[in-house]
Amino acid sequence: MEKDNIMIDYKHRQAGHCESGATSNLFNFYGVEMSEPMAFGIGNGLYFSYLPFLKLQYAPMMSFRNLPNTVFHRSMKYLDVDATVIKNFKEPKESMAALDRNLEKGIPTGMQVGVFNLTFFPPEYRMHYNMHNLVAFGREGNDYWVSDTVMELPQRITSEDLQRVRWAKGAFAPKGKMYWINTVHKDLDIKSAVEKGIKKTVYEMIKVPFPLIGVKGIHWLAKDLKKWPKKHGNETASFYLGQIIRMSEDFGTGGAGFRYIYGAFLKETGERYNNADLLAASNLMGNAANRWREFTYMGARNCKNRSKPEEDYGKLSDMLHEIADMEKEVYMKLDKIKI
Amino acid sequence: MEEKSNPVYKNQAYGQYRELFYSYGTDGKFEKNVGFHDESDRVTLQQAWDLFNDRIEEARQKVKTGQASPILYYMEKTLVTPMDLSMHSGIMVWRVKRHLKPKVFSRLGEKTLKKYAEAFNITLDQLKNVD
Repeated sequence: MEKDNIMIDYKHRQAGHCESGATSNLFNFYGVEMSEPMAFGIGNGLYFSYLPFLKLQYAPMMSFRNLPNTVFHRSMKYLDVDATVIKNFKEPKESMAALDRNLEKGIPTGMQVGVFNLTFFPPEYRMHYNMHNLVAFGREGNDYWVSDTVMELPQRITSEDLQRVRWAKGAFAPKGKMYWINTVHKDLDIKSAVEKGIKKTVYEMIKVPFPLIGVKGIHWLAKDLKKWPKKHGNETASFYLGQIIRMSEDFGTGGAGFRYIYGAFLKETGERYNNADLLAASNLMGNAANRWREFTYMGARNCKNRSKPEEDYGKLSDMLHEIADMEKEVYMKLDKIKI
Repeated sequence: MEEKSNPVYKNQAYGQYRELFYSYGTDGKFEKNVGFHDESDRVTLQQAWDLFNDRIEEARQKVKTGQASPILYYMEKTLVTPMDLSMHSGIMVWRVKRHLKPKVFSRLGEKTLKKYAEAFNITLDQLKNVD
Protein backbone atom coordinates (compact mmCIF):
# COMPACT_ATOMS: atom_id res chain seq x y z
CA MET A 1 0.00 0.00 0.00
CA GLU A 2 1.38 3.35 -1.00
CA LYS A 3 1.50 5.80 1.85
CA ASP A 4 0.93 9.51 1.40
CA ASN A 5 3.64 12.00 2.12
CA ILE A 6 2.99 14.04 5.24
CA MET A 7 4.76 17.11 6.50
CA ILE A 8 3.65 18.78 9.72
CA ASP A 9 4.63 22.39 10.15
CA TYR A 10 6.80 21.70 13.19
CA LYS A 11 9.60 24.03 14.15
CA HIS A 12 12.88 22.35 15.01
CA ARG A 13 15.01 24.19 17.53
CA GLN A 14 18.29 22.88 18.77
CA ALA A 15 18.48 22.35 22.52
CA GLY A 16 20.92 21.23 25.15
CA HIS A 17 18.92 18.33 26.50
CA CYS A 18 17.00 15.97 24.26
CA GLU A 19 13.82 15.47 26.24
CA SER A 20 13.23 18.99 27.56
CA GLY A 21 14.06 20.27 24.08
CA ALA A 22 11.44 17.96 22.60
CA THR A 23 8.91 18.97 25.28
CA SER A 24 9.45 22.68 24.75
CA ASN A 25 9.24 22.27 20.96
CA LEU A 26 5.97 20.37 21.33
CA PHE A 27 4.57 23.15 23.53
CA ASN A 28 5.59 25.71 20.95
CA PHE A 29 3.83 23.72 18.25
CA TYR A 30 0.61 24.09 20.23
CA GLY A 31 1.10 27.82 20.59
CA VAL A 32 2.53 28.02 24.12
CA GLU A 33 5.77 29.96 24.30
CA MET A 34 8.06 27.82 26.42
CA SER A 35 11.82 27.83 26.51
CA GLU A 36 13.90 24.74 27.05
CA PRO A 37 15.07 25.63 30.61
CA MET A 38 11.43 26.25 31.56
CA ALA A 39 10.36 22.79 30.42
CA PHE A 40 13.41 21.31 32.12
CA GLY A 41 12.71 23.05 35.44
CA ILE A 42 8.99 22.31 35.57
CA GLY A 43 9.56 18.71 34.57
CA ASN A 44 12.25 18.05 37.24
CA GLY A 45 15.03 17.23 34.84
CA LEU A 46 17.70 17.91 37.45
CA TYR A 47 18.88 14.95 39.43
CA PHE A 48 21.92 13.20 40.68
CA SER A 49 22.43 9.54 41.38
CA TYR A 50 25.55 7.48 41.76
CA LEU A 51 25.20 3.73 41.41
CA PRO A 52 28.64 2.14 41.82
CA PHE A 53 27.25 -1.39 41.82
CA LEU A 54 25.97 -0.96 38.27
CA LYS A 55 28.40 -0.65 35.40
CA LEU A 56 27.76 1.40 32.28
CA GLN A 57 30.36 0.88 29.55
CA TYR A 58 32.81 -0.65 32.07
CA ALA A 59 32.64 2.22 34.60
CA PRO A 60 30.37 2.94 37.57
CA MET A 61 27.03 4.35 36.59
CA MET A 62 26.00 7.83 37.53
CA SER A 63 23.30 10.07 36.23
CA PHE A 64 22.84 13.82 36.25
CA ARG A 65 19.30 13.65 34.95
CA ASN A 66 16.05 12.06 35.91
CA LEU A 67 14.67 8.83 34.51
CA PRO A 68 13.56 8.92 30.87
CA ASN A 69 10.20 10.53 30.19
CA THR A 70 10.09 12.28 33.58
CA VAL A 71 10.40 15.73 32.04
CA PHE A 72 7.52 15.24 29.65
CA HIS A 73 5.31 13.38 32.08
CA ARG A 74 5.76 15.75 35.03
CA SER A 75 5.50 18.96 33.05
CA MET A 76 2.20 17.69 31.59
CA LYS A 77 0.98 16.74 35.05
CA TYR A 78 1.93 20.01 36.74
CA LEU A 79 0.57 22.15 33.91
CA ASP A 80 -2.55 20.00 33.68
CA VAL A 81 -2.27 19.40 29.95
CA ASP A 82 -4.12 16.63 28.16
CA ALA A 83 -1.35 14.37 26.88
CA THR A 84 -0.99 10.71 26.08
CA VAL A 85 1.93 8.44 26.89
CA ILE A 86 1.98 4.89 25.58
CA LYS A 87 4.57 3.13 27.70
CA ASN A 88 5.07 0.06 25.60
CA PHE A 89 3.75 -1.83 22.66
CA LYS A 90 3.58 -5.56 22.19
CA GLU A 91 4.72 -5.60 18.58
CA PRO A 92 7.17 -3.38 16.68
CA LYS A 93 4.74 -3.24 13.72
CA GLU A 94 1.95 -2.03 15.97
CA SER A 95 4.13 0.82 17.28
CA MET A 96 4.97 1.96 13.75
CA ALA A 97 1.30 1.82 12.74
CA ALA A 98 0.41 3.95 15.76
CA LEU A 99 3.04 6.48 14.70
CA ASP A 100 1.58 6.56 11.18
CA ARG A 101 -1.93 7.12 12.53
CA ASN A 102 -0.68 10.04 14.61
CA LEU A 103 1.15 11.65 11.72
CA GLU A 104 -1.94 11.32 9.54
CA LYS A 105 -3.89 13.19 12.19
CA GLY A 106 -1.23 15.88 12.15
CA ILE A 107 0.17 15.20 15.62
CA PRO A 108 3.95 15.47 16.05
CA THR A 109 4.90 12.50 18.19
CA GLY A 110 7.75 12.09 20.62
CA MET A 111 9.53 8.78 21.00
CA GLN A 112 12.13 7.24 23.26
CA VAL A 113 14.95 5.62 21.31
CA GLY A 114 18.33 3.99 21.78
CA VAL A 115 21.27 5.76 20.17
CA PHE A 116 23.52 2.85 19.23
CA ASN A 117 21.91 2.26 15.84
CA LEU A 118 20.74 5.81 15.22
CA THR A 119 22.12 6.42 11.73
CA PHE A 120 22.45 10.20 11.75
CA PHE A 121 23.85 10.47 15.26
CA PRO A 122 27.47 11.61 15.82
CA PRO A 123 29.55 8.42 15.71
CA GLU A 124 31.47 9.26 18.87
CA TYR A 125 28.25 9.08 20.89
CA ARG A 126 27.01 5.77 19.58
CA MET A 127 27.06 3.79 22.78
CA HIS A 128 24.25 1.82 24.36
CA TYR A 129 22.25 4.65 25.74
CA ASN A 130 18.52 4.07 25.57
CA MET A 131 17.23 7.29 27.04
CA HIS A 132 17.33 9.50 23.98
CA ASN A 133 14.25 11.30 22.67
CA LEU A 134 13.19 12.55 19.29
CA VAL A 135 10.04 13.83 17.66
CA ALA A 136 8.68 12.56 14.35
CA PHE A 137 6.87 15.17 12.32
CA GLY A 138 6.76 13.97 8.73
CA ARG A 139 6.88 11.05 6.35
CA GLU A 140 8.23 10.92 2.84
CA GLY A 141 8.01 7.57 1.06
CA ASN A 142 9.72 5.07 3.32
CA ASP A 143 11.55 7.76 5.29
CA TYR A 144 10.52 9.69 8.36
CA TRP A 145 11.45 13.24 9.22
CA VAL A 146 12.53 13.50 12.82
CA SER A 147 13.58 16.40 14.98
CA ASP A 148 16.45 15.43 17.23
CA THR A 149 17.27 18.39 19.44
CA VAL A 150 20.93 17.40 19.79
CA MET A 151 21.37 17.99 16.04
CA GLU A 152 21.33 21.36 14.34
CA LEU A 153 18.87 20.38 11.59
CA PRO A 154 15.92 17.96 11.24
CA GLN A 155 17.01 14.55 10.05
CA ARG A 156 15.70 11.78 7.80
CA ILE A 157 15.62 8.20 8.92
CA THR A 158 14.31 5.11 7.15
CA SER A 159 11.37 3.22 8.55
CA GLU A 160 13.47 0.11 9.30
CA ASP A 161 16.13 2.09 11.14
CA LEU A 162 13.52 3.96 13.15
CA GLN A 163 11.88 0.71 14.15
CA ARG A 164 15.23 -0.72 15.22
CA VAL A 165 16.11 2.23 17.47
CA ARG A 166 12.60 2.32 18.93
CA TRP A 167 13.01 -1.34 19.87
CA ALA A 168 16.59 -1.09 21.09
CA LYS A 169 17.15 -3.63 23.83
CA GLY A 170 19.08 -3.60 27.08
CA ALA A 171 18.79 -1.42 30.17
CA PHE A 172 15.88 1.08 30.03
CA ALA A 173 14.65 -0.48 26.78
CA PRO A 174 12.23 1.96 25.10
CA LYS A 175 9.86 -0.76 23.84
CA GLY A 176 8.41 1.65 21.30
CA LYS A 177 7.43 4.22 23.90
CA MET A 178 5.76 7.26 22.39
CA TYR A 179 4.07 10.39 23.68
CA TRP A 180 2.19 13.36 22.36
CA ILE A 181 0.04 16.31 23.42
CA ASN A 182 -3.68 16.15 22.64
CA THR A 183 -4.91 19.63 23.47
CA VAL A 184 -3.56 22.58 25.42
CA HIS A 185 -6.06 24.89 27.08
CA LYS A 186 -5.31 28.57 26.88
CA ASP A 187 -4.84 29.69 30.49
CA LEU A 188 -2.00 27.49 31.72
CA ASP A 189 -1.16 27.98 35.38
CA ILE A 190 2.58 28.23 34.96
CA LYS A 191 3.17 29.78 38.37
CA SER A 192 1.86 26.85 40.39
CA ALA A 193 3.60 24.41 38.02
CA VAL A 194 6.91 26.16 38.67
CA GLU A 195 6.26 25.95 42.41
CA LYS A 196 5.49 22.24 42.24
CA GLY A 197 8.47 21.60 40.00
CA ILE A 198 10.92 23.36 42.32
CA LYS A 199 9.49 21.61 45.37
CA LYS A 200 9.90 18.20 43.78
CA THR A 201 13.45 18.93 42.66
CA VAL A 202 14.41 20.11 46.13
CA TYR A 203 12.93 16.92 47.57
CA GLU A 204 14.87 14.76 45.14
CA MET A 205 18.16 16.56 45.67
CA ILE A 206 18.32 16.89 49.46
CA LYS A 207 15.47 15.05 51.14
CA VAL A 208 15.51 11.54 49.73
CA PRO A 209 16.51 9.28 52.62
CA PHE A 210 19.05 7.30 50.61
CA PRO A 211 22.76 8.15 50.52
CA LEU A 212 23.39 7.69 46.80
CA ILE A 213 20.84 10.17 45.50
CA GLY A 214 21.05 13.95 45.30
CA VAL A 215 23.65 16.01 47.15
CA LYS A 216 24.50 13.05 49.38
CA GLY A 217 25.30 11.10 46.23
CA ILE A 218 27.81 13.73 45.13
CA HIS A 219 29.52 13.50 48.54
CA TRP A 220 29.61 9.72 48.26
CA LEU A 221 31.11 9.98 44.78
CA ALA A 222 33.76 12.41 46.09
CA LYS A 223 34.69 9.94 48.83
CA ASP A 224 35.00 7.10 46.32
CA LEU A 225 36.97 9.23 43.87
CA LYS A 226 39.71 9.62 46.46
CA LYS A 227 40.05 5.86 46.83
CA TRP A 228 40.08 4.92 43.13
CA PRO A 229 43.82 5.28 42.37
CA LYS A 230 44.78 3.03 45.29
CA LYS A 231 41.99 0.56 44.77
CA HIS A 232 42.05 0.19 40.97
CA GLY A 233 45.35 1.72 39.80
CA ASN A 234 45.88 4.91 37.85
CA GLU A 235 44.59 3.71 34.46
CA THR A 236 41.22 2.60 35.75
CA ALA A 237 40.91 5.54 38.10
CA SER A 238 41.34 7.92 35.19
CA PHE A 239 38.79 5.97 33.17
CA TYR A 240 36.28 6.19 36.01
CA LEU A 241 37.02 9.90 36.38
CA GLY A 242 36.45 10.18 32.65
CA GLN A 243 33.04 8.62 33.19
CA ILE A 244 32.05 11.45 35.54
CA ILE A 245 33.11 13.98 32.94
CA ARG A 246 31.46 12.12 30.07
CA MET A 247 28.17 11.90 31.90
CA SER A 248 28.25 15.55 32.94
CA GLU A 249 29.50 17.15 29.73
CA ASP A 250 28.77 14.90 26.79
CA PHE A 251 25.55 13.24 25.68
CA GLY A 252 23.66 16.51 25.32
CA THR A 253 23.65 18.03 28.78
CA GLY A 254 24.04 21.67 27.78
CA GLY A 255 27.23 21.66 29.86
CA ALA A 256 28.02 21.01 33.52
CA GLY A 257 25.55 18.19 33.99
CA PHE A 258 22.39 20.25 33.31
CA ARG A 259 23.30 22.76 36.05
CA TYR A 260 23.45 25.60 33.55
CA ILE A 261 20.00 24.79 32.20
CA TYR A 262 18.56 24.71 35.71
CA GLY A 263 20.21 28.01 36.55
CA ALA A 264 18.71 29.53 33.41
CA PHE A 265 15.31 28.23 34.52
CA LEU A 266 15.65 29.89 37.95
CA LYS A 267 16.72 33.10 36.27
CA GLU A 268 13.79 33.07 33.86
CA THR A 269 11.21 32.46 36.58
CA GLY A 270 12.88 35.02 38.83
CA GLU A 271 12.57 37.66 36.14
CA ARG A 272 9.03 36.66 35.26
CA TYR A 273 7.72 36.90 38.84
CA ASN A 274 10.12 39.59 40.06
CA ASN A 275 11.47 37.39 42.79
CA ALA A 276 14.83 38.38 44.27
CA ASP A 277 15.29 35.03 46.05
CA LEU A 278 15.00 33.10 42.81
CA LEU A 279 17.51 35.42 41.14
CA ALA A 280 19.93 34.91 44.01
CA ALA A 281 19.47 31.15 43.74
CA SER A 282 20.12 31.30 40.00
CA ASN A 283 23.36 33.16 40.67
CA LEU A 284 24.46 30.47 43.13
CA MET A 285 23.51 27.76 40.64
CA GLY A 286 25.47 29.49 37.91
CA ASN A 287 28.52 29.59 40.15
CA ALA A 288 28.14 25.92 41.03
CA ALA A 289 27.88 25.11 37.32
CA ASN A 290 31.04 27.07 36.60
CA ARG A 291 32.74 25.09 39.36
CA TRP A 292 31.62 21.85 37.66
CA ARG A 293 33.28 23.08 34.48
CA GLU A 294 36.52 23.79 36.35
CA PHE A 295 36.33 20.27 37.73
CA THR A 296 36.03 19.02 34.15
CA TYR A 297 39.10 20.94 33.01
CA MET A 298 41.19 19.65 35.87
CA GLY A 299 39.89 16.11 35.62
CA ALA A 300 40.46 15.92 31.87
CA ARG A 301 44.16 16.51 32.45
CA ASN A 302 44.29 13.26 34.37
CA CYS A 303 42.44 11.53 31.57
CA LYS A 304 44.90 12.75 28.98
CA ASN A 305 47.94 11.47 30.78
CA ARG A 306 46.52 8.30 32.18
CA SER A 307 49.34 6.52 33.94
CA LYS A 308 50.80 9.64 35.60
CA PRO A 309 48.05 11.78 37.11
CA GLU A 310 48.86 15.47 36.92
CA GLU A 311 46.24 16.47 39.42
CA ASP A 312 45.95 14.96 42.84
CA TYR A 313 42.82 12.86 43.26
CA GLY A 314 42.45 14.14 46.79
CA LYS A 315 42.25 17.67 45.44
CA LEU A 316 39.61 16.70 42.89
CA SER A 317 37.66 14.96 45.61
CA ASP A 318 37.74 18.10 47.78
CA MET A 319 36.50 20.03 44.79
CA LEU A 320 33.51 17.70 44.41
CA HIS A 321 32.71 18.08 48.13
CA GLU A 322 32.80 21.82 47.64
CA ILE A 323 30.47 21.62 44.62
CA ALA A 324 28.05 19.48 46.62
CA ASP A 325 27.99 22.08 49.39
CA MET A 326 27.44 24.85 46.85
CA GLU A 327 24.51 22.99 45.36
CA LYS A 328 23.07 22.23 48.77
CA GLU A 329 22.99 25.93 49.53
CA VAL A 330 20.88 26.49 46.41
CA TYR A 331 18.36 23.81 47.36
CA MET A 332 18.15 25.04 50.96
CA LYS A 333 17.34 28.46 49.58
CA LEU A 334 14.78 27.08 47.16
CA ASP A 335 13.17 25.04 49.93
CA LYS A 336 12.02 28.17 51.73
CA ILE A 337 11.04 30.10 48.64
CA LYS A 338 7.58 31.51 48.00
CA ILE A 339 6.71 32.70 44.55
CA MET B 1 30.11 24.75 8.65
CA GLU B 2 33.74 25.67 8.70
CA GLU B 3 36.35 22.99 8.35
CA LYS B 4 37.99 22.20 11.66
CA SER B 5 41.06 20.13 12.30
CA ASN B 6 40.56 17.43 14.83
CA PRO B 7 43.64 16.98 16.96
CA VAL B 8 42.03 15.10 19.82
CA TYR B 9 40.06 12.40 18.08
CA LYS B 10 42.01 9.73 16.29
CA ASN B 11 39.03 8.95 14.08
CA GLN B 12 38.43 11.68 11.52
CA ALA B 13 34.68 11.12 11.51
CA TYR B 14 34.41 12.17 15.13
CA GLY B 15 33.72 15.62 16.45
CA GLN B 16 32.08 17.02 13.31
CA TYR B 17 28.81 18.04 14.92
CA ARG B 18 27.99 21.25 16.68
CA GLU B 19 25.91 21.18 19.83
CA LEU B 20 24.17 23.73 21.94
CA PHE B 21 25.83 24.72 25.20
CA TYR B 22 24.86 27.04 27.98
CA SER B 23 27.29 29.19 29.88
CA TYR B 24 27.16 31.53 32.83
CA GLY B 25 29.10 34.77 32.74
CA THR B 26 30.22 37.14 35.46
CA ASP B 27 27.45 39.55 34.45
CA GLY B 28 24.88 37.03 35.68
CA LYS B 29 23.55 36.02 32.29
CA PHE B 30 22.97 32.53 31.01
CA GLU B 31 23.86 32.33 27.37
CA LYS B 32 23.33 29.77 24.67
CA ASN B 33 26.11 29.04 22.23
CA VAL B 34 26.25 26.56 19.40
CA GLY B 35 29.69 25.09 19.01
CA PHE B 36 32.03 22.14 19.22
CA HIS B 37 33.02 20.40 22.40
CA ASP B 38 35.96 21.73 24.35
CA GLU B 39 39.16 19.79 24.23
CA SER B 40 38.67 18.56 27.79
CA ASP B 41 35.38 16.90 26.89
CA ARG B 42 36.83 15.36 23.79
CA VAL B 43 39.71 13.86 25.74
CA THR B 44 37.34 11.82 27.88
CA LEU B 45 35.34 10.58 24.90
CA GLN B 46 38.53 9.56 23.10
CA GLN B 47 39.63 7.81 26.27
CA ALA B 48 36.48 5.72 26.25
CA TRP B 49 36.88 4.83 22.57
CA ASP B 50 40.54 3.93 23.15
CA LEU B 51 39.48 1.40 25.74
CA PHE B 52 36.73 -0.01 23.51
CA ASN B 53 39.08 -0.28 20.52
CA ASP B 54 41.73 -2.00 22.63
CA ARG B 55 39.18 -4.52 23.81
CA ILE B 56 37.95 -5.12 20.25
CA GLU B 57 41.51 -5.68 19.00
CA GLU B 58 42.25 -8.04 21.88
CA ALA B 59 39.10 -10.01 21.13
CA ARG B 60 40.03 -10.22 17.44
CA GLN B 61 43.42 -11.68 18.32
CA LYS B 62 41.81 -14.18 20.68
CA VAL B 63 39.40 -15.34 17.98
CA LYS B 64 42.22 -15.69 15.43
CA THR B 65 44.33 -17.77 17.78
CA GLY B 66 41.39 -19.95 18.66
CA GLN B 67 41.02 -18.92 22.27
CA ALA B 68 37.53 -17.52 21.88
CA SER B 69 34.54 -17.76 19.58
CA PRO B 70 33.53 -14.98 17.15
CA ILE B 71 30.75 -14.08 19.55
CA LEU B 72 33.33 -12.46 21.85
CA TYR B 73 34.59 -10.29 19.00
CA TYR B 74 31.13 -9.11 17.97
CA MET B 75 30.19 -8.63 21.60
CA GLU B 76 33.11 -6.25 22.11
CA LYS B 77 32.47 -4.61 18.77
CA THR B 78 28.89 -3.74 19.68
CA LEU B 79 29.96 -2.73 23.21
CA VAL B 80 27.77 -5.18 25.07
CA THR B 81 28.27 -7.44 28.08
CA PRO B 82 27.02 -11.06 28.17
CA MET B 83 24.11 -9.78 30.24
CA ASP B 84 23.11 -7.26 27.55
CA LEU B 85 23.63 -9.79 24.78
CA SER B 86 21.35 -12.15 26.62
CA MET B 87 18.65 -9.48 26.63
CA HIS B 88 19.26 -8.65 22.97
CA SER B 89 19.17 -12.22 21.71
CA GLY B 90 16.87 -13.91 24.21
CA ILE B 91 19.47 -16.55 25.08
CA MET B 92 20.20 -17.16 28.75
CA VAL B 93 23.34 -15.57 30.22
CA TRP B 94 25.03 -18.81 31.22
CA ARG B 95 24.52 -20.12 27.68
CA VAL B 96 25.96 -16.93 26.17
CA LYS B 97 29.03 -17.28 28.38
CA ARG B 98 29.38 -20.92 27.35
CA HIS B 99 29.12 -20.03 23.68
CA LEU B 100 32.24 -17.87 24.02
CA LYS B 101 34.28 -21.08 23.89
CA PRO B 102 35.22 -21.97 20.30
CA LYS B 103 34.50 -25.66 20.81
CA VAL B 104 30.97 -25.04 21.98
CA PHE B 105 30.43 -22.43 19.29
CA SER B 106 31.35 -24.83 16.49
CA ARG B 107 28.59 -27.19 17.60
CA LEU B 108 25.86 -24.54 17.68
CA GLY B 109 22.78 -25.07 15.54
CA GLU B 110 21.43 -22.79 12.83
CA LYS B 111 18.61 -21.54 15.05
CA THR B 112 20.85 -20.24 17.82
CA LEU B 113 23.32 -18.73 15.36
CA LYS B 114 20.47 -16.88 13.68
CA LYS B 115 19.44 -15.39 17.02
CA TYR B 116 22.97 -14.09 17.54
CA ALA B 117 23.23 -12.75 13.99
CA GLU B 118 19.98 -10.89 14.48
CA ALA B 119 21.13 -9.43 17.79
CA PHE B 120 24.37 -8.19 16.18
CA ASN B 121 22.54 -7.10 13.01
CA ILE B 122 24.89 -9.08 10.72
CA THR B 123 24.60 -12.07 8.37
CA LEU B 124 25.36 -15.65 9.33
CA ASP B 125 28.52 -15.66 7.18
CA GLN B 126 29.85 -12.62 8.98
CA LEU B 127 29.13 -14.24 12.32
CA LYS B 128 31.13 -17.35 11.44
CA ASN B 129 34.10 -15.51 9.90
CA VAL B 130 35.78 -12.65 11.67
CA ASP B 131 37.52 -10.32 9.22
